[in-house]
Amino acid sequence: MLRFIVSRLLWMIPSLVALSFLSFVLIELPPGDYVTTYIATLAASNEVVDQNTAADLRARFGLDQPMIVQYFKWIVGIVTEGNFGLSFEWQQPVSELIWERMSLTLLLTVSTLLLTWGLALPIGVFSAVKKYSVGDYIATFFSFLGLAIPSFLLALVLMYVAAVKFGQDVGGLFSEPYVAAPWSFGKVLDLLSHLWVPVVILAVSGTASLIRVMRANMLDELNKPYVTTARAKGLSEFALLVKYPLRVALNPFISTIAWLLPNLVSGSVIVAIVLSLPTAGPMLLQSLMSQDMYLAGAFVLLICALTLLGSLVSDILLALVDPRIRLE
Amino acid sequence: MSDRKDSKTESYANTESAVSRRVLLQGVAGVAALAASPTLAFAQAAAKEAPELARMVAENRLPPLDQRLPRNPMVVTPHETVGRYGGTLRRGLRGSSDHNGILRMVGNQGLVRWNLEFTQVLPNVAERWDVNATATEFVFHLRQGMKWSDGKPFTADDVVFAIEDCTKNAELYRSVPSVLTIGGKPAVVTKVSDTAVKFAFEAPYAMFLENLATPLGQHPTLFPKHYCSQFHPKYNSGLDAQVRAANLSDWPTLFRARCGDIEIPSRWGNAEKPTLDPWVVAEAYTGGATRVTMRRNPYFWQVDTNGAQLPYIDQLTMNISQDVESLMLDTISGRIDIQDRHIDSLQNKPTLSQNMQRGGYRLVELVASGAQQCMIYLNMTHKDPAMRAMFANKEFRQALSLGIDRKEIIDLVYLGQSEPYQTGPRPGHPWYHEKLSRQFTSHDPAQANAILDRLGYRRGPDRMRLRPDGQKVFFAIDVIPTLYPDAVDTLELVKRHWAALGVDIKVNTIERALYYTRGDNNDHDAATWPGPGGLDPILDPRDYLAQHPQGSRYAIPWTQWYVSGGKEGQEPPESQKRRMKLFDDARATPDIAKRGQIVKEMLDLTADAFETIGVCLAVNSFGIAKNNLRNVPLKMPQAWSWPNPGPALPQQFFFTA
Repeated sequence: MLRFIVSRLLWMIPSLVALSFLSFVLIELPPGDYVTTYIATLAASNEVVDQNTAADLRARFGLDQPMIVQYFKWIVGIVTEGNFGLSFEWQQPVSELIWERMSLTLLLTVSTLLLTWGLALPIGVFSAVKKYSVGDYIATFFSFLGLAIPSFLLALVLMYVAAVKFGQDVGGLFSEPYVAAPWSFGKVLDLLSHLWVPVVILAVSGTASLIRVMRANMLDELNKPYVTTARAKGLSEFALLVKYPLRVALNPFISTIAWLLPNLVSGSVIVAIVLSLPTAGPMLLQSLMSQDMYLAGAFVLLICALTLLGSLVSDILLALVDPRIRLE
Repeated sequence: MSDRKDSKTESYANTESAVSRRVLLQGVAGVAALAASPTLAFAQAAAKEAPELARMVAENRLPPLDQRLPRNPMVVTPHETVGRYGGTLRRGLRGSSDHNGILRMVGNQGLVRWNLEFTQVLPNVAERWDVNATATEFVFHLRQGMKWSDGKPFTADDVVFAIEDCTKNAELYRSVPSVLTIGGKPAVVTKVSDTAVKFAFEAPYAMFLENLATPLGQHPTLFPKHYCSQFHPKYNSGLDAQVRAANLSDWPTLFRARCGDIEIPSRWGNAEKPTLDPWVVAEAYTGGATRVTMRRNPYFWQVDTNGAQLPYIDQLTMNISQDVESLMLDTISGRIDIQDRHIDSLQNKPTLSQNMQRGGYRLVELVASGAQQCMIYLNMTHKDPAMRAMFANKEFRQALSLGIDRKEIIDLVYLGQSEPYQTGPRPGHPWYHEKLSRQFTSHDPAQANAILDRLGYRRGPDRMRLRPDGQKVFFAIDVIPTLYPDAVDTLELVKRHWAALGVDIKVNTIERALYYTRGDNNDHDAATWPGPGGLDPILDPRDYLAQHPQGSRYAIPWTQWYVSGGKEGQEPPESQKRRMKLFDDARATPDIAKRGQIVKEMLDLTADAFETIGVCLAVNSFGIAKNNLRNVPLKMPQAWSWPNPGPALPQQFFFTA
């Protein structure tokens, strides 16, 4: 086991190098650079950048150098000093910007995950066990509905109704007086009273698809001979479910943990934008759109690293949960 | 200094919480009556300053008003009526690169400013100025006793520092900002006395004052010496340690992060930096911010006609929405007090009009400063010789112009709110030029066809015309749909009109960075952009002569020739060269009447050359202002040179009770 973990960790280094290069190239691919985008953005409001300034900016940010030179400067800074560079747009160190938003992002993603699992697992099991009952039909109906509605649309409709019908504001994670206030009990309560909106919106589609997956997995297992055997041994129906078929049906969930970690950063971008949530997603999109190279690059690198880590974790967990899986 | 700042921040907390804290303190201390009553009495008697400032003065935390104002403060005549203190003004910002949304509201404090009509330069930070006869020397007289927002004096030293030490420092600015340069040489700024500062130029620079009144002319008042010099190697030898501590690469980066520049986000990213603005940053505009708040500057140097210190409004709150639609929602539900940015598209107007009652706001008319709503630039310096020959032919362009049914476009796309137009200063402007503006704007397909026949563009088997070399007459017009959706609609109609002439075009909808790259490389067949220069013909004459390397899209290489003084690009034809000379002359002519004559001569040549094809006069835009927000002009220009609503003086806006 230990050897497996170490060798996997070592393999991550070349993968990360390749990925970082690839992501840098991809971010560079669109025509123009940060300065062109910056000028174009200002032009949208009929604002003009001083002609001398544009050339200045390009030289100052090193955008006039070949891409490979820019990449090496960046990667050497990361490896030798842990310096991820400076965001062109904000003139702030990239690491500072990313961490500033990580805690709320983490909170939002974890709450969404808990709600999704808390709802989807029991409902999925229930609708498998009570196949074609009224309850199953209701669960199926709502889960297809949840799958069909894009979450950003749900967010927009909710905001419209809240704003126009009730004069309420559902955007953001804090109400007006608490935005800049230091942490206090009141602020936590305020956060909780705002948090449920995005959590519910984000959880809807996830829950819906998980219910379907769980139901299908359980249906596969419920007719297996080992279930009949267990029942013949006289186990109660509930103990039986939890002890055998549920454990096997859980395998696909564990495999999806690999995607969970990168989702911390890049998940729910559109919903976060619509709801003006102070999470990492909108910042990632913004940096890509404004071609803020180092900020975008650091985000992509972070996502790649988390994906690699996530797949390692899910491999290990899978091995722990299901003894049939071997590590060779 | 940090002590002072903390106490200021605290006492400025929004009114409700400040009150509740005071009540709490009173309860605890038991000296309520003693502490509060003199403050109240003072506020009622004088009301020359905001109640919260009066309270701070009474508590000895702030010097009295007469010590905070300059000896000769700028007196602002309120637009409607003298206002009352108080309130929080709400505006919306977009998540990225929206720093100029703040600049437009608060950061209009240059040495001079524009009047409301956008026709005259008025005193601002400088109370008056002297110009020599040749327009090479400008002496600005500053206000004695004027202070930065931290209470430190603002003097000629600050201006000299900003220009000589900052903008002329090659590490900080590789080249001196163009507003401060004429004939390739930057201004030399010297201190005459504490309140007088001289700008000397090598060549006549008659447009200097006008340029200073625009946002790009704000450098002289941007950098407080006492604060920013600590980030400048000339004044601080231990800078390297600071740069490292801030995790930055070099001192210019540190300087920009702390002191900002005219239009970069970090100008609003540091709450410690002193400014001359009516409101100062409390919660900064940084990468992670979800809103920006600003509080009144207790040292603001302007008063109303009663001698009461401005601004009237206590605080600005600008929420950052990632999505423009949520800004619209905020607006129609009445949670925005004044806004035009991001919501002023033509499609939004019906929604905003319908919801006026619910949102409790009124519409403000923004007069377009541009000349042309959708200018079509055929690339007369096209890389392909056959295309170049076609576009460079004036009669060909004339035929295309006559082939456009402008009335249909105006009715369908612009809801009837415009008139056929080519280019030139707007009707009503003293330099309005009838021929330049109206030539070839009638819809005359017969004449257009006759011209094309005469030029030898025969019709092929499919009725589309062929060039003499046998190729189809076909070209692509670049347009950015996300920026100018109306231009796409217009071009689709133009495509139909021109197809009737046998000319085929492609409406090439592309992403904005690609649009710029194609233009910079001279790769485009043709492009559209709104044509500027309607109210500010001499500040943005890109359609009158090839002068703007990113904007004069009918001949980018000619602009490069002009900008580089003949070293780069391609040599333009005689008419252009004469216009370039005339434009330089106009900029060097201080006398307005004489300048007008020169400009007329230039516009005559532009009209003869007929380089750009226009559709209709730039359409006025709109914004909203809440009904209880007063002193907002119902009509004002919309421009970058006149950064609305700044020159309408938001410091004199106020909320009725």
